[in-house]
Amino acid sequence: MLTQVELTGIRAAASAQVRDRHRLAARELLTAALFLLPSLLVFTVFLFWPLLRSAVISTYGNDIIGRPTRFTGSHNYQLLLSQPELHEVILNTLLFTLYTVLPALVIGIALALLLQLRVAGIGFFRTLLATPFGFSVATASAVFGIFFNPGVGVLNGFLYPFHIHPVGWLTSPTTALLAVAATTVWLQLGYNVLVLSAGLQAIPEDVYEAARLDGARGLSLLRHVTLPLLTPSLFFLLVVSTIQSLQSFGQIDILTKGGPARSTTTLVYDLYLNAFAFGNSNFGLASAIAMVLFLLVVIVTAIQFGVLERRVFYR
Amino acid sequence: MKRLAVLVLLLLLAAACGGGNDQQTSSSGNFDWNSKAPAKPVKITFWHGFSAGANQDAVNALAAKFSDAHKGEIEVTPVYAGDYDTTFAKLKAAIQSGKADQLPSMVQIYDIGTRFMIDSQAITPAQTFIDHEKYSAKDLEPNILGYYQINGKLFSMPWNVSTPLLYFNRDAFSEAGLDPNKPPSTLAELRVAAEKLTKKDASGSTVRYGFGAAIYGWFLEQFTARADQTYCNNGNGRDKSATKVLFNQPVDIKVVDWWANLVKDGLALNTGRQTPDAQNAFKAGKVAMNLESTGTLRGYQAAVKFQLGTAPYPKVESSTTAGGTIIGGASLWVLNKRPAYEQKAAWEFEKFLEQGDSMAYWHTHTGYFPVDKKSLDDPTDKDWVARYPQFKTAIDQLHSTKLDKATQGCLLGVMPATRQAAEVGMETAITGKAPAKKAMDDAAANIQPQIDQYNQATSGS
Repeated sequence: MLTQVELTGIRAAASAQVRDRHRLAARELLTAALFLLPSLLVFTVFLFWPLLRSAVISTYGNDIIGRPTRFTGSHNYQLLLSQPELHEVILNTLLFTLYTVLPALVIGIALALLLQLRVAGIGFFRTLLATPFGFSVATASAVFGIFFNPGVGVLNGFLYPFHIHPVGWLTSPTTALLAVAATTVWLQLGYNVLVLSAGLQAIPEDVYEAARLDGARGLSLLRHVTLPLLTPSLFFLLVVSTIQSLQSFGQIDILTKGGPARSTTTLVYDLYLNAFAFGNSNFGLASAIAMVLFLLVVIVTAIQFGVLERRVFYR
Repeated sequence: MKRLAVLVLLLLLAAACGGGNDQQTSSSGNFDWNSKAPAKPVKITFWHGFSAGANQDAVNALAAKFSDAHKGEIEVTPVYAGDYDTTFAKLKAAIQSGKADQLPSMVQIYDIGTRFMIDSQAITPAQTFIDHEKYSAKDLEPNILGYYQINGKLFSMPWNVSTPLLYFNRDAFSEAGLDPNKPPSTLAELRVAAEKLTKKDASGSTVRYGFGAAIYGWFLEQFTARADQTYCNNGNGRDKSATKVLFNQPVDIKVVDWWANLVKDGLALNTGRQTPDAQNAFKAGKVAMNLESTGTLRGYQAAVKFQLGTAPYPKVESSTTAGGTIIGGASLWVLNKRPAYEQKAAWEFEKFLEQGDSMAYWHTHTGYFPVDKKSLDDPTDKDWVARYPQFKTAIDQLHSTKLDKATQGCLLGVMPATRQAAEVGMETAITGKAPAKKAMDDAAANIQPQIDQYNQATSGS
């Protein structure tokens, strides 16, 4: 049994320790804040403040030049939710993300694995496969636009000798989203190959050696050693490219302008149509769309972190 | 996040600058006619939408000629402000900024921006100048003025004018046993011709389609006028502001249905909404008949390897006797926030652009329709028409059009967005996603909130 005095002494010591830690934490925090200040400033000016303004504008009706003139509360949101095409637009956005992120990851892994081969001239191929990273969205889209051209396109030219009927790549609602997604996959691939190659290089040889001693070969080596150790890179790419996909704009604008028949109109493109295209300056409604997009990005990212991050193997 | 951030930032910039409602400095009633320039020459800037090329060269040449003729008095600086949509957006941003020095003295705005420009309260109507100096517009083509006149009042000066035509491949006509001198004049005739013109190779692949045109809302508007019907209510928005579009009326459904069936039956190639794609298909001979503007004539003439034919824009029903085509293109607007002496100088330049010899130059260098009737008698112009006999079709078509509410064209504040909505409807039907009636009904319902919002904003302020 401890005496009252002893007890008090222990308590005092403990609370002093806690206070110490607090003081230390406060000082550390201050240092951290100082370091963060520049980027925080940039974020505030270019992200947080616009986000806030956007939220405010979404509750305003605007005049014909786009000036927010009257507070209309949730009217823009009601208008947005009452439009039957909103479902289509959100579906397009999610499908587009699915069609771009997963293929770009799978093909990225395959290519990155191939590039690990120690054969002559592999350096050339490594450079070659990373080049899409250097293309701007506009350039790539313009080139793919020529491939997909309905009348005089290159792709249909390839099909012709095989008596395959020409495909309306960008002019048919069933293929347009896939065609734009294919362009995006190509664009994304260079970056994925770079990151995954770096991830593969970082797996130490002794892990493989140990696994081989335990009898792991070929596919099982890939499944039980390579892929788990690659999960940090994979998770990073998944999150980043998902957000990027949800916000794709250039390739849609250049290839399809959201068509045919709205089949490639995603949230970002719908936002653009309402705010800037065709003489529109519906900034209130466009801001409401921006808020919906923001919400979607937050939800999807939260799900990814909630469900998948625990499976990521951080060494 | 970068792209989202940029978009949000644009929204912010666009919206944040909208603080104070500025007072109108001069409306038509109290124009300061005695306003004197503090220094000579008066410098005017002119925003136009012609990128580098033949059209921009013609603009620069005419501006230089005018500045030379008015040495020490007026100096014009033409500025390319981006394509029509971009110029329009840029002007909106400048008006929004509320700063007069952001605005040009005059600006070229496309036809479908007309209602917006009138409602913007940012312009001095051309009629103000016309009334003040008793300027006679009698030489100007009435069928062209019609579009820009509301209740007899002219708001802007028509400048570059085009009309739609049916272009066709004369060689393909002969080959298919059709008379190239008797091109189809109705939708039904066009389909019959398309059936004969469509050609397949041994494997069943189509090597030539009978018809193909860009899914361009302008064409639907033209078919509507050709059937002597209005495209929006309240007399095409000319009796009072239109509150509804009518592109889901029977005549438009008929056109869209006809088009969708041509594609479905393999008689027409669908190249989507992008104009160059449809043009390329026609130029390459993949498509034998095509709808396009007169502005494309020179480009086609230079590119095609077959004999080029032109015909009046087809009618929907053979029984229609009235109706005709609507003029397209753009007009010139004077901005009222600029000093009055500068506006007067801009008006001088506009008059110069309209006069016979300038219009003859403009017509022969760009292919746009001359606004001044006298230009067609100008010798250089006569030579040109002799060189491009296909243009004669356009002249005849314009002169045979009876001007009424239908052929004046629809005025709607959100006309650019309306055209886009109609295109989505047309495309939905043409790609077989929905029947024509449903597609156009949906499209009309889709644009309705924007029309309502526009009318609310213009009546409320």
